[in-house]
Amino acid sequence: MSATTRIRTPARPARAASISRTRKARILKAEWTKLRTLPSTWRTAALTLALGIGFSVAVALSQISQWHAMTAQQRQVFDPTSASMSGVMIAAVVLGTLAVRTVTAEYSTGMIRSTFSAMPARPFVLAAKAATAAAFAFPVTLLANLAGFELGQRIFAGQHVAVTIGHPGVLRAMVFGAVAVSLVAVIGVGIGGLIRHTAGAATTLALIIIGGLTVGQFLPAGWRQYMPGIATQAAVTVHRSAGLLRPGAALVVLAVYAAIALSAASLRVAHRDA
Amino acid sequence: MIEAQHLTKRYGTTVAVDEASFAVRPGRVTGFLGPNGAGKSTTMRMILGLDTPSSGSVLVNGKPYRELTDPLRSVGALLDAKAIVGGRSAASHLAWLADSNGIGRRRVTEVLELVGLSDVAGKRVGTFSLGMNQRLGIAAALLGDPETLMFDEPINGLDPDGIVWIRNLMKSLAAQGRTVFLSSHLMSEMAQTADHLLVIARGRIIADASTDEFVNRNSTPSVRVRVRALQPADLAAALTRRGALVERCPDGAMIVTGLDSAAIGAVASADDITLLELAVRGTSLEEAFFELTRDETDYHAGQLSGTSERSLT
Repeated sequence: MSATTRIRTPARPARAASISRTRKARILKAEWTKLRTLPSTWRTAALTLALGIGFSVAVALSQISQWHAMTAQQRQVFDPTSASMSGVMIAAVVLGTLAVRTVTAEYSTGMIRSTFSAMPARPFVLAAKAATAAAFAFPVTLLANLAGFELGQRIFAGQHVAVTIGHPGVLRAMVFGAVAVSLVAVIGVGIGGLIRHTAGAATTLALIIIGGLTVGQFLPAGWRQYMPGIATQAAVTVHRSAGLLRPGAALVVLAVYAAIALSAASLRVAHRDA
Repeated sequence: MIEAQHLTKRYGTTVAVDEASFAVRPGRVTGFLGPNGAGKSTTMRMILGLDTPSSGSVLVNGKPYRELTDPLRSVGALLDAKAIVGGRSAASHLAWLADSNGIGRRRVTEVLELVGLSDVAGKRVGTFSLGMNQRLGIAAALLGDPETLMFDEPINGLDPDGIVWIRNLMKSLAAQGRTVFLSSHLMSEMAQTADHLLVIARGRIIADASTDEFVNRNSTPSVRVRVRALQPADLAAALTRRGALVERCPDGAMIVTGLDSAAIGAVASADDITLLELAVRGTSLEEAFFELTRDETDYHAGQLSGTSERSLT
């Protein structure tokens, strides 16, 4: 800037750390009101359950139909828990897209200006969107996991490989799967803040989740396990399997992605004209 | 109260707002007048902390907007009525705004009542007409019962009833002692609503005056007189000799600029010319405004002197 420029620019948006607890609570409440008053939110939840449970059942049926063709070793590593919760991938894509839309729908309509006028603490607004989307994704995914598990075990009972919900690791897998999808929702909010267009951001998220499964085939085995989609799958496993991270490590990986996406989006949103 | 000091916004080499310094005071309606693209909306976005100025500053109630606690309780703004996610109901849209600033839900019902949307409170906003959206936007601006109110082109899309309603609303808000800042590109609209005018053209504030003062100052120099005479050619020649500008009309009359009616009468009687008609046309506000902004506007006369906006006077 030239020397003649008077520099008394207004303060940059307040950092999340500097706003009071009351204001944080109000922002969270406002974002939750936004999420729950949009009818499409509830349609999306219903869609997640229908598609997620349906996919889990379909995969369970296909696995059991190949039981006779499996080698003894394949049968030994068969994981009846993760084999009945494949729907977690569907939940990641559908609920992740819902999270994307909480940001992009406001940018595409221009309502983001109302949002930032009412709540100038932009990074915290984004964080509140991430928190509410994640909080919404958790119970929906948990329910889908539970239903998928119960239906899957009935299918596996035919080959006497079913496990019960009390089996070590089963509950953890259900919960971790829901946490993984919640983290994907946070990634979705981050991508939404970075890309701002619904179509572009939703496609990017879907590629990150599902594309990882196909593109991942061409990556060295050691890298593949770090892809978000693969890590989401790893979160619902009970048996240790080659090419997948341990469930806890998978969540750590997803949390790192979520933190990067949200931080990058916060920086972008805070310093850009709305 | 809104105070701007050398407020400037540049986009690359384009200057959208150029060193604007002004104060919008409480207790009156201040019209923010300028042709489309003059910098009105950019200025308003900077006031709301949405766009960061390239230099200069703007304070609302003594603070930069982003430092206001519960901003909706200090400033209510309507920028673009259509900028709203369509899936929610009107009441839900106001509900999240209320939540964001710790405003009770009872106030939502009140403002819906105030703007006449109570009957459609539960309807999806996506089904609303532009006029209904404007009313919802005004409800949102009033939600926090703020001291300062700002509306960007609020009459766009309103029917005549709606325009009268909004005009009275603005005036009553100002009468309550609030600061009311209202943008428009229509001079005639401003003349009927605003007590004070802030005129912007090509990003620069070119006038800051009371509406009456602005009208008087800008109308006088270019009073036009319509004259019809029995000897039009003689009169035209005589008037031209006295330095007047004479424009001949197809119906035989002429429009004279540069001399007032008394002087024209004197010229006529001195030369024994019989006048059939002598009428002061004055200058419409719209013309005063065009006059003022003509040299300041990016797109010259071709667009500005067009009839689309004038015909509304």
